[in-house]
Amino acid sequence: MYDFSIITTAIDQFLRSLMPSALATFLECVLIAVCVLVAYVLLAIVMIFMERKVCAAFQCRLGPMRVGFWGLLQVFADVFKMIIKEIIDFKRTDNLLYNLAPFLVVLSSVLTFSCLPFANGIEVLDFNVGLFFIMATSSFGVLGIMLAGWSSNNKFSMIGAMRSGAQMVSYELSIGLSMLTLVALSGTLQLSEIVARQADMWFIFKGHLPALTAFIIYLIAGNAETNRGPFDLPEAESELTAGYHTEYSGMGFGFFYVAEFMNLFIVSGIAATIFLGGWMPLHVPGLDAFNATMDYIPGPVWFFGKTFFVIWLLMWIKWTFPRLRIDQVITLEWKYLMPIGLVNLLIMTLCVVMGWTF
Amino acid sequence: MKRERYTYLSTVTFALKSLLSGLKVTLTEFFTPKVTEQYPENRKTLKISERHRARLTMPHDENGANRCIACGLCQNACPNGSISIVTKSVTDEETGKSKKVLVSYEYDLGCCMFCQLCVNACPKNAIEFCNDFENAVYDRKKLVQKLNR
Amino acid sequence: MELNTLTIIFIGLSLLMVAAALLAVTTRNIMRATTYLLFVLFGTAGLYFILHYTFLGAVQVTVYAGGIIVLFVFAALLIGKGTRDLTHTSILRYTAGFTAAITGLALTVYLIFTHQFPEVQHPVSVVPMKLIGHTMMGVEKYNFVLPFEVVSVLLLACMVGALLIARKR
Repeated sequence: MYDFSIITTAIDQFLRSLMPSALATFLECVLIAVCVLVAYVLLAIVMIFMERKVCAAFQCRLGPMRVGFWGLLQVFADVFKMIIKEIIDFKRTDNLLYNLAPFLVVLSSVLTFSCLPFANGIEVLDFNVGLFFIMATSSFGVLGIMLAGWSSNNKFSMIGAMRSGAQMVSYELSIGLSMLTLVALSGTLQLSEIVARQADMWFIFKGHLPALTAFIIYLIAGNAETNRGPFDLPEAESELTAGYHTEYSGMGFGFFYVAEFMNLFIVSGIAATIFLGGWMPLHVPGLDAFNATMDYIPGPVWFFGKTFFVIWLLMWIKWTFPRLRIDQVITLEWKYLMPIGLVNLLIMTLCVVMGWTF
Repeated sequence: MKRERYTYLSTVTFALKSLLSGLKVTLTEFFTPKVTEQYPENRKTLKISERHRARLTMPHDENGANRCIACGLCQNACPNGSISIVTKSVTDEETGKSKKVLVSYEYDLGCCMFCQLCVNACPKNAIEFCNDFENAVYDRKKLVQKLNR
Repeated sequence: MELNTLTIIFIGLSLLMVAAALLAVTTRNIMRATTYLLFVLFGTAGLYFILHYTFLGAVQVTVYAGGIIVLFVFAALLIGKGTRDLTHTSILRYTAGFTAAITGLALTVYLIFTHQFPEVQHPVSVVPMKLIGHTMMGVEKYNFVLPFEVVSVLLLACMVGALLIARKR
């Protein structure tokens, strides 16, 4: 397996040899922040392009084909358009909160994004409560959405924000429960440790039935948490124009748009990490030659491969099902997903205690 | 009422089954060849349906003669008045009867609504719609076409 | 006082918290007050993180930023226009508020100057999650299973009460 900590340690050593330790730490923080933000934006662009192409394929279309070869420059053109658009101020809105709201959403999303373990040795934030910290940071994104809805001084935005709040607060529970199921299996909250413990087998195979159930619950709840797919009623175009970001133009809207796509990436990345082994290659116990061959494929390829597979699954769900009503959304969570998740957690604990896992 | 008794579990299984059938449909759609026509690039392979009405034409045979008898039925049938026929009377030398002959058949593409009433009205099948759909021009006057030669 | 990196971060966080707290109590708009409060709570979480109390920091963000503040916003949105006219307050309220503030300040200052703060060595080790879990659910001395269960009973009572209020009758 490739160990990327060699590179990062080398950079660290180099910087420390040039300047005092505190300055080196500060410089590294800035460097990492820049890297995270660039990766965030680039991945968002990739995701938007993928969304358009995958959506088109599910609807038997081709998607963008004109700008650049195979439409590759389309998203760059869109981003450029969004940057040069005017940002409009409204007379009777709370301008401070109106301008703050997109940053709160992006802040929550970037913090969560930097927790993902991209490869062996490339973990930006990695401490003993990793998974819990992810839940913590993703939980205040809803606040930005609610502030956006309120400060827009618009009925549609308000309704969208309230729907979004009710939906995201509810579905956080199912996400937490299905994560907890896997934490019971792994015995740790630290993300790098979770990945390391899947060296012999991925958790979705190790935990067989309860892990698979948790995976399905996680996919459904994750889709709802990102306000996408059949759960996009906070921004239901046909009834609320654009929901909570109706009044936003230019990059204000851009932040919401990017954060929505990156939340999808984060949800998929966490699913890939805790269910499908993160950057850990596919290992089958007993087949040593096969395992050694798999180790030649570097960690980032595995991580991004798995993540984009999960993203594809979520897009498949999104472009298949019609939008749910708000009462159906809440019913699905409180009457079906959460009880099933609780029972599933119990079954998983039983399996772990009795040693019924692989 | 079996489903009433096992409501909760049967609802879950029923929901899963129906959702999976929906997913199957979209998955097959994902892998089927796409129907998008990329128009200007695909001119050579473009297939337009035979029944498509793009422009009125008057077919001429190899001698340059058309079948129009200048009866004016098409002009009367046209709800938009986009057809105007200019005729003249010609006296047949053998029989001595006078007969209307077509001088010019003017068709305004700009106000045609492609209803095909003129084609249906024609007793001699002298006019028909063709598939040639790239009719954009820079001047409105160019839309008025003289169909007979 | 030695001016190392942690001290700078501490001062920065403290300034943020004090500024946000002042703004939270001086603003007239309840939504803005809630948002400023959010930054105070973020600052507190940051303090926990520089003390290496990662679990406490994550709990702070989850419970306060993700839970309480969202609840506040919901409540503020549900009770009405979001702003309240606070210009005409009775003299009684002024005196009561003033007394409470002075008492709180005096108490805090007294505690700060009389309490013996233990010396903390940096870097302190991160408390492992297993220890936290065992302490929270353990039944031995200095363990917390009883408070934990009492809190869960309290939450259950809250849920039952909420259901009772929301039930259509």
